[in-house]
Amino acid sequence: MIMIIKNKLLILGIETSCDETAAAVIEIRNSRFAVRSDVVLSQVNIHRKFGGVVPEVAARQHLENILPVVDRALSQAKVKIEKVDRIAVTRGPGLITSLMVGVETAKALSYIHGIPLVGINHLEGHILVNQLAVSSWRLAVSNFPALCLIVSGGHTELVLVKKIGKYQKIGQTLDDAAGECFDKVAKILGLGYPGGPIISTKAKNGNASKFNLPRPMLDRPDFDFSFSGLKTSVLYYIQKNGRPRGKRINDFCASVQQAIIDVLIDKTIRAAQQYKVKTVMMGGGVAANFELRKQLGERLAEDLPNTKYQIPNTKYCSDNAVMIAVAGYYSQAKKDGWQNIKVDPNWEIGEYESTRA
Amino acid sequence: MINLGKKFAQKLKGGEIFLLQGELGSGKTIFTKGLAQGLGIKKVITSPTFVLFKVYKAKTPGIKQLIHADCYRLKKGQEILVAGLDEYLGRDDTVVVVEWGEKLIEYLQNDFIPLYFKVEADKRIITVK
Repeated sequence: MIMIIKNKLLILGIETSCDETAAAVIEIRNSRFAVRSDVVLSQVNIHRKFGGVVPEVAARQHLENILPVVDRALSQAKVKIEKVDRIAVTRGPGLITSLMVGVETAKALSYIHGIPLVGINHLEGHILVNQLAVSSWRLAVSNFPALCLIVSGGHTELVLVKKIGKYQKIGQTLDDAAGECFDKVAKILGLGYPGGPIISTKAKNGNASKFNLPRPMLDRPDFDFSFSGLKTSVLYYIQKNGRPRGKRINDFCASVQQAIIDVLIDKTIRAAQQYKVKTVMMGGGVAANFELRKQLGERLAEDLPNTKYQIPNTKYCSDNAVMIAVAGYYSQAKKDGWQNIKVDPNWEIGEYESTRA
Repeated sequence: MINLGKKFAQKLKGGEIFLLQGELGSGKTIFTKGLAQGLGIKKVITSPTFVLFKVYKAKTPGIKQLIHADCYRLKKGQEILVAGLDEYLGRDDTVVVVEWGEKLIEYLQNDFIPLYFKVEADKRIITVK
């Protein structure tokens, strides 16, 4: 890990790994982070308009949106591109054509303006966005080793963070991601899109113990997850009994949500105990779930009272470029490194030194 | 279902495009996991629903990659072609498996093999035509 000794550092982050086109500018001054702008062009509103499906493919949208999004990030930050000290761009994992839009744009900007460029792992972004709250590098050292639960529509992983830049995946979903489970269950129940927030909202008025749903993989000693079984349980129930109506839909949503949360929390706590971590963190869109955030904190306080609990502000849970810029701070960027930045759609966290181009 | 996928993999020559059709929970992904195992892929095959498609390196003499795609989130199958899937179609060293593949039929120039998945009680039935 290289520390740049400089009064003020401005980093432009770019993220286009899947659906969102995002750019952000962050400032680091005296080891403290400040978010100067955070622009995310989300396809959620497009989804809603067309009833839950994507009308225009992810990659094409990125192409049309990337330059306006970067421009907006710079203008909202009141920063001219020439003043940016570093560019950080997601180079994987994700959809190859989506990733390419961000990476090629970042390379062009790096080349034209002579700005050092670094390629970031999307999952590392979800982990390191938690540094926003911590911000001092002295504190950062004492927080590790940490355990991060990354949970979204596309990912469900438990990652051991030995220190910033040194990661080890210790568990993952074997089929569906938790966010995907929320979405597919919502579809089976006839609710709208996006499923997670809708289920979560209905669950607030529901009783989680009304419906008995499975907690898959809880009896296994490892830290892998599986959510496709829960999906099929819901499907069987609905095929047999029809969709719940009235108050029962709230109870059903609460029960589904609790089944997902129970599995996520149980594995996370066990992993935290086994690896004797100093901090438990979360990242990813599902990390914005109110009950998950609350219950994980409660379980930690009970079972691991000396372990710190670090979760990002809800707006930084789903995909964004702030997290990429933050990860970019901890990376080593070379001025003409842009030539070597390659898209890697299958990039696994911890696969190789993730913070080195 | 996994073993069925594995057995299927033994028969593959390369260039095949499978369109998996069937409701949620009918076994499309599990079948693909088996197929991947049969192609020597050690990596865990997870659902490509959100990312649209994933590329896996296969370890057989004739087949070098498996593409696992998913049209579940799309209104029109064409969109996944534009997203980059078209690059992998018709390649002799590549096998493509598309979940919710019925959305792709009207846009495909290539030959394809439809597989129909159905849930009946606790059984899964696959039909090949």
